[in-house]
Amino acid sequence: MVNKCRSQSAKVTSISYWVDKIPLCPRILLFLLLFCFQLPSRLMGIEAYPSSMNIAEEFHSRYDFAQQNRAEGYVFNTRNEPLSQVTVTDIKTGKSTKTDLQGYFSLEVQKGTVLAFRYLGYKNVENTVVDERQMKIILEEESQVMDEVVVIGYGTTTRKSVTGAVDQVTSKVIENRPVANLTQALQGTSPSLIIQQRNFNPNSGGDLNINIRGLTTMNNNSPLIVIDGLVSDDASLNNLNPADIESISVLKDAGTAAIYGSRAASGVILVTTKKGKKNQRPMIQVGSQLGMQDPEVLVNPVKGYQSALLKNLALTNSGSTPAFSPAEIRDLAQHEDSEWVMDQIIQTAPQQTHNLSVSGGGQNSTYMISAGYFNQRSNYIGPDYNIQRYNLRSNTVAEYGRFKLTSILAYTRNNAKDAVSSPIGDAMRIPTYYHYRSQADNGKYLLNDVLTESNPVAILRDGGSILKDNDYVNLNLGLDFRLMDGLKLKGVFGTDIFSDHSYTRRLEIPYYLNEGDSTPKMYANATRPTEDWNRKAYLLNSQILLDYEKSFGAHRITGLLGLTNESYTGTSNSIKLEYTDPDLGTPTTGTVFTTSSSVTPQNTNRTAINSVLGRLGYAFSDRYYAEFSFREDGSSKFAESNRWGFFPSGSLGWRLSEEKFMDGYKQHVGELKLRGSYGILGNQRIDDYQYWTVYSVYNNIYGYNNQAVSGAGFTYGNSELTWEKTATFNVGLDATFFNSALSLSADYFHKTTSDILLTPLIPTVFGTTLPNFNSGELKNRGWDLSISYRLNKRGFDQSFGINVGDTWNEVTKFEGNEQIKKTEEFYNIIRVGLPFNSLYGYKTDGLFQSYEEIASSAVPVGYAVQPGDLKFVDRNGDGVIDSKDRYVIGNSFPRYTFGFTYNLAYKGFDLGLLVQGVGKRDQAIRGELLEPFHANYSYVMYQHQLDYWTPTNIHARYPRLTASGSASNENNYKMGSDLNILDGKYLRLKNVQVGYTLPSAIAGKIGMQKTRVYVNGQNLLTLSNHSFLDPESSEFNANMSNGGGANSGRSYPLLRYYGFGIDFQF
Amino acid sequence: MKKYIYKRLLGYCLAVVVLLSSCNKLDQSPTNNFTDDNFWVSTDKAQLILNMAYSQMYNADKMFSDENLSDNLFQGRSATDQRTIRNGQATPALGMFSSSWENMYQGLKTCNIFLDKIDLVPDLDVAKKSRMIAEIRFIRAYQYFRLTNFYGDVPFFTTDISLEESRTVSRTPYATVRKFIHEELEDIVKDLPSRNNLPVSENGRLTKGAAVAMNARAYLYEGNYEQVKLNCEKLINEQAVYGNYSLFGSYQGLFMPENENNTEVIFDIQYVPVLRTWSNLNYMAPISVGSPLNASAPTQSLVDNYITVNGLNIADDPAYDVNNPYNESLRDPRLRATVVYDGFTWRKPDGTVTTINIRPGSGTADEYRTSSSNVTSTGYYTRKYYDPTSEAGFVSGLNIIMLRYADVLLMYAEAMMELSEMDQSIWDQTIRLIRQRAGFTSAAALNFPTHATDLRDIIRRERRSELALEGLRYFDIIRWKEGTKYLSGYVYGARFANNNTENIQLDYRAFNEQRDYLWSLPLDQMNLNTNLRPNNPGYSY
Repeated sequence: MVNKCRSQSAKVTSISYWVDKIPLCPRILLFLLLFCFQLPSRLMGIEAYPSSMNIAEEFHSRYDFAQQNRAEGYVFNTRNEPLSQVTVTDIKTGKSTKTDLQGYFSLEVQKGTVLAFRYLGYKNVENTVVDERQMKIILEEESQVMDEVVVIGYGTTTRKSVTGAVDQVTSKVIENRPVANLTQALQGTSPSLIIQQRNFNPNSGGDLNINIRGLTTMNNNSPLIVIDGLVSDDASLNNLNPADIESISVLKDAGTAAIYGSRAASGVILVTTKKGKKNQRPMIQVGSQLGMQDPEVLVNPVKGYQSALLKNLALTNSGSTPAFSPAEIRDLAQHEDSEWVMDQIIQTAPQQTHNLSVSGGGQNSTYMISAGYFNQRSNYIGPDYNIQRYNLRSNTVAEYGRFKLTSILAYTRNNAKDAVSSPIGDAMRIPTYYHYRSQADNGKYLLNDVLTESNPVAILRDGGSILKDNDYVNLNLGLDFRLMDGLKLKGVFGTDIFSDHSYTRRLEIPYYLNEGDSTPKMYANATRPTEDWNRKAYLLNSQILLDYEKSFGAHRITGLLGLTNESYTGTSNSIKLEYTDPDLGTPTTGTVFTTSSSVTPQNTNRTAINSVLGRLGYAFSDRYYAEFSFREDGSSKFAESNRWGFFPSGSLGWRLSEEKFMDGYKQHVGELKLRGSYGILGNQRIDDYQYWTVYSVYNNIYGYNNQAVSGAGFTYGNSELTWEKTATFNVGLDATFFNSALSLSADYFHKTTSDILLTPLIPTVFGTTLPNFNSGELKNRGWDLSISYRLNKRGFDQSFGINVGDTWNEVTKFEGNEQIKKTEEFYNIIRVGLPFNSLYGYKTDGLFQSYEEIASSAVPVGYAVQPGDLKFVDRNGDGVIDSKDRYVIGNSFPRYTFGFTYNLAYKGFDLGLLVQGVGKRDQAIRGELLEPFHANYSYVMYQHQLDYWTPTNIHARYPRLTASGSASNENNYKMGSDLNILDGKYLRLKNVQVGYTLPSAIAGKIGMQKTRVYVNGQNLLTLSNHSFLDPESSEFNANMSNGGGANSGRSYPLLRYYGFGIDFQF
Repeated sequence: MKKYIYKRLLGYCLAVVVLLSSCNKLDQSPTNNFTDDNFWVSTDKAQLILNMAYSQMYNADKMFSDENLSDNLFQGRSATDQRTIRNGQATPALGMFSSSWENMYQGLKTCNIFLDKIDLVPDLDVAKKSRMIAEIRFIRAYQYFRLTNFYGDVPFFTTDISLEESRTVSRTPYATVRKFIHEELEDIVKDLPSRNNLPVSENGRLTKGAAVAMNARAYLYEGNYEQVKLNCEKLINEQAVYGNYSLFGSYQGLFMPENENNTEVIFDIQYVPVLRTWSNLNYMAPISVGSPLNASAPTQSLVDNYITVNGLNIADDPAYDVNNPYNESLRDPRLRATVVYDGFTWRKPDGTVTTINIRPGSGTADEYRTSSSNVTSTGYYTRKYYDPTSEAGFVSGLNIIMLRYADVLLMYAEAMMELSEMDQSIWDQTIRLIRQRAGFTSAAALNFPTHATDLRDIIRRERRSELALEGLRYFDIIRWKEGTKYLSGYVYGARFANNNTENIQLDYRAFNEQRDYLWSLPLDQMNLNTNLRPNNPGYSY
């Protein structure tokens, strides 16, 4: 007994060593976890076998040499070839070794123990009782591709029986990557799962675009997120701890997604979290990663005096007086430039991740308990801007007789501290004149000619902050009841509870014009605003499912029938104060509530969706498959008469290689399967209450005698509103070659989305806008391809994976057939026959070289241009450049998106690479990155802009320098031409990981089952056709709409990550 | 038996789902807005729509935007739509052609919906109702007034338009719409209160005087001087009926927050400190007093318009010194109430004064450097409409005057001059009063110019000086058909170029007599509704 206690405390000590390395809060979580992992096993009456009580015993026996014995033997494959590097483990002690080149192993073991043989790509062999003789073990190769279990909607299936298009991303791809969230981790992992990270600000996790198979609709293209069987909120995906993920299924066609009915048109992402394994002793895994993120600012300003010279040139070129006298320029040249403000505000920042999990199980129950901590420091200078995430999860399964209870409890906490405004735009525009200083020696923040009302350094250092905290609880209880052989009744109840809060405090900062000034020119945040925002939301999810699966000889029948309800209720409120106490931010005399404060009824949203769903499957002899599924949804987003919709799908599969006449093929080549599906999917992602005509009251719209009054406006409703329908056809082929070493999966699809909800473009004479109408149609075609190959020779275990996909769309029906919108300099066009929201504008025809050329060419009306200015193509030849001369000049949606993975294991070493990219994309750019001295906001010129036209540089890339506002400048930079379009294709080395796993003998000596150390890097290398803009940056969100304005490239820079990590398993 | 149990179990499960589904029902209505069912039920709700119509009529942005179209202001910092129009570069695709059109038809929608639905309101007091309707009709007439000023013939309707109609409606001739405007403005006078009976709490609501003055302005823009005369005479001579109006004692004080709703104001757009505000001066006032940058600045042409205290144009007055152009003892006092020039004495809210130095080399924040910079492009900043009580960022609750009595006097003077009825007595009740109030004292400036002088030039010049930066100049130039005279050639700034020997030379403007008296119809609207074509003359399509 004494012994037991001692060894148990020794265990805790070894953990606490690592615990000390972890910050306080996660440490508390960790201890809680250690406590928890003992608790549920007791509560659930787990059998004595590897229960927690046995840990001590096991440790005790590990040092009990008296009972030791030696096991030795050889390991072969089915072709009787010796296998090296096979891991041989004593199940009882955890000790392990590896076979040598002859397949020989020898291990000190306990008497009567069990040996386990594990080798990647081969079926595990266990339960081999050690006897005295030399053993001969045969490992069978796994035909792992076809037998892989695939998670689908409301159930699982195997790869060989899948009839639709589904990709599964496993934990292996996600593990140990220094990603900030799960969405980032998914980039490049699955064909036609298109993820674009538009900026890298840790505090704006929402700038990731997710699209599955292109643009399904002209509205919201977000895929449906389902976590452990429950439909969840979009935000939940990034609340998960990537380390907790077992697998992620991407449902892409009607065959697999129709079971999610009116919300599945843009695809479904099914996330399954890790569970414990039955009959497994507690396995403790600890992992930590630490690294630095290095911001990569892609542009560099010219020297200060050069900037001044070039500014003068731009002015004199436009007939204006120069801004700098020769003396001033000489003065600038004689002084050393100040540090560029962009470099002043951004710095390398650390990132850390720590994870701990305990999992195991008895005969009737399993558990998996995990805790995670993630901390990414913002690269901004200032008071520790960062984002932190805490994850806690307990997944347990208990079986008793006919019952199986699954319980998932997950808690996520995000804490973030963000800057009150993005300083990048301002910082990038400031030249490096020595006298432009952000802060004087006496501490005063200074303004200058460029920074007329804001100072990036001041805002970051002393401007206040936004403190955000989010609590997310996910509760998921499922009870399976086996009614009879093959028939199960499942009841599931789940809830997502979101509780978000943010507190914004903007601090008053005095700005001075000169160091010596005693009174400030002005104050930033002069109204001292303070703001509190609270949101509470819960999503209730209840399901009753009847699940049937039974084989009758060669026939196998599966069936599913279910009823579900989901209710969402979200409320929020905000308090906005101005003129608060300068020290505390609390109300004081003179404090006012701003009228944009809001109370709960202003921000209440309630939705509900009731559904009936079903699936019927039939398989004959593992050769022929047929499946039909449907869902009928009733949604509160639509008026009663249009509320219910029916979404059916059917699919067929044929494993050719199982046919008699293909026996030869199967033996010599491999598996071959054809599959196809057709069905209807829906999309109902629109704002709530759209079918109501509403009158909204606006505060302080007018006033009489200095008394403010309210006004009312109205918004038309459309009672005919209903969901969009996407008819999807998919054919696919799965094949394996070379004994399953090479496997290939290819799909072709065609989808037509009709009844797309569009705001009709109507004459403005009508006086108001209309709500959405079901009026658009969009066609998509595309293909996905994934290939994986494994090669295992001379101890080098290699695997290659390639995935690539393409989708192209065409607007086939659109209200008014055409819509051209201008966002700053850019035109976007929606036109029947073109891809959705294409870039539209003028085609350039080089630069004017002479006045004669100008005289004989078309120019925009009223523009006096000069040699060196842009020349445009006069499309209709009418002698003038006007809007009739515009062309379609590109499309910003990524095409030929690809991912490439490579893994290599040799002895204890391993290497993993992930390359990801886009094969075709047009990237539009405006602003100072393109135009020198942009619109008088920027006073700087960048080195990449120096190739401008001069009489001696007539083959320049850019037009001559001109002053903002001049006709030439308007002509060159404000027309919206293909000068603004860059080639956006790229290839990025997304992730590199090099690891070393300690030989198990050594690991065993330090009490570990497995110890792995690794170094990793992210975004280390990018190949693209231009140097000054991150090729991923885009003004478009996942819906290809650009509400935020045209792309200016003023985004948080790309972060390169370098780091290392360590994993323990014991 | 087993089957029976299963059946019961299934039934139980269904019940559970139904029970749980009662969490949220499928029928959901918004909690933050009214619906058609519960809106038109009270006078207060109808008043909310009326308030909305008031706010859509006119505002500070529109006033300064109109002024930027004229020769009074110049936007040197960036290429705005106004600057594009002035430089002759506007095409039918110009954003401003489209947004202004949309904005005015939105305002009209509010009015027409109000008129269509007001009968739904139960128990609405008859007098109250007819007054509300009169106010709405004024606002509707004003929207059409503005539309026809810019676009000429426009789609015209007086009840809410259906979507189908909006796609096919064609343009109604300018004259028809203007006739409607006059009829409306005349008809509603009876239902509006006189200023004399207006309770203080209703300051800012439309009155008889506003309707008559607006009617006079509409006639003025049409060159119907007979009617201008008639309507102005109502306001000048029949004050018992149309309200007592007179010039406010101080020109500068007229635009001060403490003098809001004074006797000169016939109608203004009302703002409320902190709650409903405007802040255009933030990009027009001198940098050193808090403006972050200058987006729009007065031109030399405006500065030169101000006469001398001797009643002479600067070119004609030997006392005028080109090297001391802003001599405060010589120039029209309204210059320093309007424009900030080099050496200007700026009075801060706390009563202290600071001198604004703009001349190159002065080394101040306001110093002129070059056009195309963050400081003034012309060498001037703006003083008029500065509100000393404004919050940081020039956030002001000062009312924007739309119609004032001085304008009535100037309209009257102009009409009488055009009708050749201008004489000593008319002069004395119009220009003389205005100049006296402005601070002129010399007889040369106050007396009727009997010697052979261009009376038209004097009155037009007076109008420009008095009403500068009040959003009227552009329309005056257009109605006089003097585009080439005022809106062509180089724009000039102060004499700061070439070592202070030449005026700053800015944009070259090209006024097209065949085109620029009207705006183009918005291209996108002509594409949506081809019945709007043909476009106004001169535009490429």
